[in-house]
Amino acid sequence: MSSGNLFRATVNEYLEGLPRPVQSKLYEAPATCLSIFRLLPPMAKFYIMSMVFNDHAVALRDLYKWTKPSANKLQFEALKRLKALHLIEDDRQTKGIQLNATFRKNFRDCLTGSQDPNAFGTLCILPDKNKVEISFLDTFASQKWETILHFMVGTESTATPSKSVLSLLKKGELMEGPGTSATNLKITNIGFQFLLQDVNVQIWTLLLQYLNLTQDLHMDPVDVLNFLFMLGSLELGKSYMVSNLSDTQISMLADLRDYGLVYQRSDNSTRFYPTRLATTLTSDSAAIKTPSNALEQAVGPDTSTSSNQGSVIVETNFKLYSYTNSPLEIAILNLFVHLRTRFSNMVCGQITRESIRRALYNGITADQIIKFLETHAHPQMKILAKERLDKKIEFDTSHNINTAGGAPQSKGKDSVSQHKLEILPPNIVDQIRLWQLELDRIQTYEGYLFKDFNNQHEYDSLSSYASEVGDLIWSDKKKMKFFVSLSEIGLNQVMVFANKKK
Amino acid sequence: MLTASKCILVQCDPSIRALILQINDERPGIVIDELDDTHLLVKSDKVDIVKQELNKLLSKNIYNPFDEE
Repeated sequence: MSSGNLFRATVNEYLEGLPRPVQSKLYEAPATCLSIFRLLPPMAKFYIMSMVFNDHAVALRDLYKWTKPSANKLQFEALKRLKALHLIEDDRQTKGIQLNATFRKNFRDCLTGSQDPNAFGTLCILPDKNKVEISFLDTFASQKWETILHFMVGTESTATPSKSVLSLLKKGELMEGPGTSATNLKITNIGFQFLLQDVNVQIWTLLLQYLNLTQDLHMDPVDVLNFLFMLGSLELGKSYMVSNLSDTQISMLADLRDYGLVYQRSDNSTRFYPTRLATTLTSDSAAIKTPSNALEQAVGPDTSTSSNQGSVIVETNFKLYSYTNSPLEIAILNLFVHLRTRFSNMVCGQITRESIRRALYNGITADQIIKFLETHAHPQMKILAKERLDKKIEFDTSHNINTAGGAPQSKGKDSVSQHKLEILPPNIVDQIRLWQLELDRIQTYEGYLFKDFNNQHEYDSLSSYASEVGDLIWSDKKKMKFFVSLSEIGLNQVMVFANKKK
Repeated sequence: MLTASKCILVQCDPSIRALILQINDERPGIVIDELDDTHLLVKSDKVDIVKQELNKLLSKNIYNPFDEE
């Protein structure tokens, strides 16, 4: 996986990239069918639901009538996804499409509850002697996951994650260093960006690396994926039998325990508990408690009453205060803030050009920083922002003018409402963006300048030819010069062309 | 007679262009040609020098809150 698409390569894209036989094998497991369905966009879900109880193919002509012409783009996207997953197949006879037969059967079974009783894991009927509470599982999961994150940011005096975690971090290019020894590993640019992601994205990033790794170990990817998807549909706080798992899956348990996805009391325990990190793997609903919330809740007892509320206050004078005692959050802030003072329940710092530039050099983008500050903003900042926005709208309506028109705050991408909620002071947001722009004030292109043409015709023909061979970046008809970025070979081609013309 | 010369095209805004020309005045031999307001031709091996000098010039105008303390 290249660095650029690391976070875009979601589980969906991974699934789409699988060869067709592997996909077909995946659809044999009901739990996988359900999970894949949950991961699809709403429009694709709609198509599946419309076709699942229909044994005949649907003619394309009819299919297009299901949606308004204005939704063509959505429809195209949905069908493209379904085709890539081979969930829908073309039917030659009727010129229509129909659902993959295996998927249709298993998904139908899921919905009607007639699937194999063990498809969603086997519940342990006997109660556990040592009862495990949900709160315990949450603490366990966040502790495991935080250990990994802490290790990445290099917090002192934290435990070192297990060998398998270390090799994953290295394989995912999140950390690098000679040898496998933990002390030699250093965080990479990708690793910095990884830290700013949501926990769910982080887990999938690691799990996808794990999937790549299993292929090297000759583990069956279908088995591995089935297990992950099954975990996603298990119930939190219940224990499941180990005995019904395949050998591959049993060996996976040990690794998943290291990431905090499942809990087992001991290595040879006959039951395992999925944690919240696992049960929310495939959920896209915000109503369900997300792993990030679960983590934040476990971070500090003080914040448990206001679980998913942020703690960061940014002032217009670039001063930043964060009411947190979590070493992890402080370490992340330290990536782009010049932290100066630390108290028992808060840290103070200053956003400076140097601190932002350091982050930018590390590959973190201005947008990532802004997004992080916005999502972690203190509730008071959000309330103030809301008040300001209300006042502005009131002012505009009472004076019948539009202050949002050319004002800098209307730069936001969503132009649905002209006024945008500004949680962060606009000057801070603009300045962070400007600092990023400043880094690439000049753009350079390597290439060749062609000049001193004999006549206009020669210029025209050669410039059009050059634009086909290479990138024509700059041209001036009057001066009869053009600049084209070309390779050595491309230059020769153009020269040959020019000489022929003469 | 048609000629093709290897060089590097620098695309920038006019203010930066002025700064690059100023750098060129101090140590000549960097800029080959001024194409228009936003494009300059620079010698292939001099781009790093331009970037360095530009960074220095731009940093002069930065207010550092820690200088006052």
